[in-house]
Amino acid sequence: MKGLRIALPGGTLFESACGLLNAAGVARLDPARFDRELSIRDGDDVYVKVRPTDVPVYVEMGGCDCGIVGKDVLWESSRECYELADLRFGRCRLVLAAPRDSPLARGEWPQALRVATKYPVSARRFFAARSLNVVLIRLHGSVELAPLTGLADCVLDITATGRTLAANNLVEVVEAGTSTARLIANHAALKTRNESVGGLAVALRRAASERLTAGAA
Amino acid sequence: MTGLDALPPGASVRGRADGFADYLVGPAGRRRLLIDRFIETFEAWGYGFMVTPLIEPLDTIAAGVGGARQSALFRFMDSDGALLALVGERTVSVARVVATQLQEGPFPLRLCYAGSVLRNQAINAGRRRESLQAGCELVGAGGLAADAECIALAASALERGGVEHIQVDVGHADFIPGLLDSAGLDATAREEVLGALARRDLVAVESALEGTDAADVERRLLLAFPTLRGGREILETAAGGLRGDRSQRALQELAQLWDLLDAHAITDRVHLDLGAVRDWDYYTGPTFEVFSVDSGFALGSGGRYDTLLSRFGAPLSATGFVLHVDRCHDSIVRRAGAPPAPVVLQVSWEREAHAGALELARGLRHRGVACACDLVSGGEGDVQVGTSGVRWSHAGHDGRGTIDAAVAALASRAP
Repeated sequence: MKGLRIALPGGTLFESACGLLNAAGVARLDPARFDRELSIRDGDDVYVKVRPTDVPVYVEMGGCDCGIVGKDVLWESSRECYELADLRFGRCRLVLAAPRDSPLARGEWPQALRVATKYPVSARRFFAARSLNVVLIRLHGSVELAPLTGLADCVLDITATGRTLAANNLVEVVEAGTSTARLIANHAALKTRNESVGGLAVALRRAASERLTAGAA
Repeated sequence: MTGLDALPPGASVRGRADGFADYLVGPAGRRRLLIDRFIETFEAWGYGFMVTPLIEPLDTIAAGVGGARQSALFRFMDSDGALLALVGERTVSVARVVATQLQEGPFPLRLCYAGSVLRNQAINAGRRRESLQAGCELVGAGGLAADAECIALAASALERGGVEHIQVDVGHADFIPGLLDSAGLDATAREEVLGALARRDLVAVESALEGTDAADVERRLLLAFPTLRGGREILETAAGGLRGDRSQRALQELAQLWDLLDAHAITDRVHLDLGAVRDWDYYTGPTFEVFSVDSGFALGSGGRYDTLLSRFGAPLSATGFVLHVDRCHDSIVRRAGAPPAPVVLQVSWEREAHAGALELARGLRHRGVACACDLVSGGEGDVQVGTSGVRWSHAGHDGRGTIDAAVAALASRAP
């Protein structure tokens, strides 16, 4: 049985996700078309472009059979999906970063710590393993400003190149995790459309490793 | 509509808590009908209907289910300080009843139930916090024939309820843990792989296996786990080179179970699924889930749980399953659309003909035709009762005659 509904993440992963599906030979998507339409039929399959944090919601609830989403989104999500493949693009790291001249930047952990983050679930798990008196401050954007304004002592945030951190006088203290794009699938879809979903996973996995090899060469 | 500014903070939708639902006329009736169909099927297979309470002591539930599922319960305190919980499923309650009141049998005991279960899901997640479950428990029967009966009964009940294109995936709770036993993993790596499987995170399974010296056969099977599906033939594919007794035994049981399901004539709807990820602390043998392409969630699930009863002091083997009534209902509506509301004939009457109208209504109801009689005279219903006779006009059929003739004509056209 064919005819999958696949959720694609808007934002930084979007063009690479389309590119990987095209390279794998499972779709012929023109990313620019999604500027005008949010849902595009390609052969028997339907692709929808949604906010990255909504991808696991669509997939868990059965609105889509599969989705492509960053692992950083899955860390924060309580949605139950199958994580089928590491697609190896969109690499970024979740790091704890502190102002360059702070004790924390020198590796001295204070007893109490105010941490600004867009990743409260990951932060709770990260600090659960450490005996620190941590206050988490959940922000929705530009967390780098929190230490500058005295709102927090440090940030737990995603960085791909480290440039934004450096521009805001922040240095990495410790890494909490590495994220790449993942293929996720709905529980029932994996069972009732096993061949289609399995085929997609195999094709994307192969394309992802070919792309990585080509990039390295 | 009142503007947001004028509304009190924290007001809930129409005064109703998030995750709960009202079912109005129509959906409520269809839901009840679905439960009736399920219970009728269970009873036709010899399962006796029983009722357990909506609330159980937390200790009772804790004896049955693990910490993660306990934390998803609505919990509160009794007047004596004891902790109570709204039940999140009803198998534990049935196990308690069997262990405390039916421990003398006669075995095997065939029991069925239907009722609400409650889970404290996150707000605005779109998940139901109260849902209806109907289920069966077959207690004191250790053989695979009992497992086959439950699978066949679940499929039969769903089909009787009108759920189309079902697919039953049958797995075994010992297969994957058995693979891990024979893979030669140390305890840490074993927990890591099992945890990743439980989270359904294949990427983590792969990376957990990478650092270990797991044997090739087991590694291959563990990495292929979502695709270890098919008919009886996959058992032989999987068995190739497999060493562990526990996984071998699981495969043998699945082979026997397949033959029993074949005898039940349902193997055209069954897949064997060696990669079924289920609660390994709870299930002890064959497990199954029922799907339909019309639902993103399993419509039903079950399996063998031979250790639960002993936690209540009655070492009895048991197998059973639960059907998710609301998901089944959603699935039916998604495929066929909402069926039309049942017809209710409106009976009107002229002054002096009230008694005649009531007589006619009694006659219709006696024949199984639903009707409502006007409370005041002069209405313009489907059936008009006058002092000189009855006129009716319903579903394109008109007529006139006596009360008896009207009842006969309308009852013959009733759905």
